[in-house]
Amino acid sequence: MELPEANETLSRRRFFVNGIKVVAGLLGLGLGIPLVGFFIAPALKKEQHDWIAIADLNLMNAGEPAKVTYQYTRRDGWKTAETRKTAFVVKHADGKITALTNKCTHLGCGVEWNASSKQFTCPCHGGVFDIQGNVTAGPPPKPLTRLMVKVEVNKIFIKDAQQ
Amino acid sequence: MSRIYKFLDDRLNLSPLLKEIADHQVPDHANPLKTPTALIYCFGGICLFILLLQILTGVFLMLYYVPSPDNAYAGVNYIQNELAFGGLVRGIHRVGASAAVVMVFLHMMRVVLTGSYKNPRELNWIVGIVLLLTVMGFCFTGYLLPWDQKAYWATTVGVNMVESIPLVGNFLAAALRGGSEVGMLTLVRFYVVHVMFLPALLVIFLAAHFFMVRRQGISRPL
Ligand code: FES
Repeated sequence: MELPEANETLSRRRFFVNGIKVVAGLLGLGLGIPLVGFFIAPALKKEQHDWIAIADLNLMNAGEPAKVTYQYTRRDGWKTAETRKTAFVVKHADGKITALTNKCTHLGCGVEWNASSKQFTCPCHGGVFDIQGNVTAGPPPKPLTRLMVKVEVNKIFIKDAQQ
Repeated sequence: MSRIYKFLDDRLNLSPLLKEIADHQVPDHANPLKTPTALIYCFGGICLFILLLQILTGVFLMLYYVPSPDNAYAGVNYIQNELAFGGLVRGIHRVGASAAVVMVFLHMMRVVLTGSYKNPRELNWIVGIVLLLTVMGFCFTGYLLPWDQKAYWATTVGVNMVESIPLVGNFLAAALRGGSEVGMLTLVRFYVVHVMFLPALLVIFLAAHFFMVRRQGISRPL
């Protein structure tokens, strides 16, 4: 296992040690790549999302986020699973509609709308967000995630994907 | 690499150990470079290589296999047809199983032909037989896991063979099945035997096998 001297000729022993290393390396790669790929394959699958009708534009009051839960089926391996999520649909003063996930950007607790202070508060570590979803206090590093929204004939649709 | 090795060697004095494991003289009669027919002495090593492959691919297959009647077939189908490299990983495990049986058998034939089972190596022969039975156990239990028709009926037939043993047959068959019919309990116990009990047995007896080979040396041919 000691290194050969600089001008030493390649001994038979050295030749076989090198050969073994090459074969071991090839085997390692030939097995390693498929096995790692096999392990991470589900992480590389893209999930497809559909538009979900979630609220009625006529029933929304500007400046009052509406808490909505929505449900969709996703593929879970070889099965399908129902997923339930919560979002806040907000009609802003200028009539624009946004949808924010209720998932705190700090460590994922569910934020709630506090009607008296007019902000979203997180129960876990005191994160606070304004009605736009921007952080105003606490540890969250970025604004609440905005979901894709569209309005069709007074119905608000969202898609469970980041805007 | 060699610096990491040197670091460890300086502290833990690994070199003598390594010499003992992988760096010792192979007798001429077992060295294929000197005696071409000595290739038959490689069969044991090939068995080990295949078993290592089986352990490796088996551990990865466990990521996606759920041993329940509702999920087993669907999960194997998912591995085989939907996952990247799934067909390859499962293929290695499936073909490897057959290859293991073939190589273990050839290895055993070599030992018989060279008379290596004789005094003083009788104990290692017995350990070898246990290993052969362990490999057969792997095959028998693994065959049920895809939970398809072939798996179900092969296990039904296999367990019915056990049933024909006088006196204890019925009891043994029921213990294997976990009841009177091949069902959920059978699947779970075959799975657990396949991935826990037998691997433990395999590792223990392989260790004994190798220890004895190193201790007693490679036998001379007749
Ligand atoms: S998870 Fe919301 S503040 Fe930590």
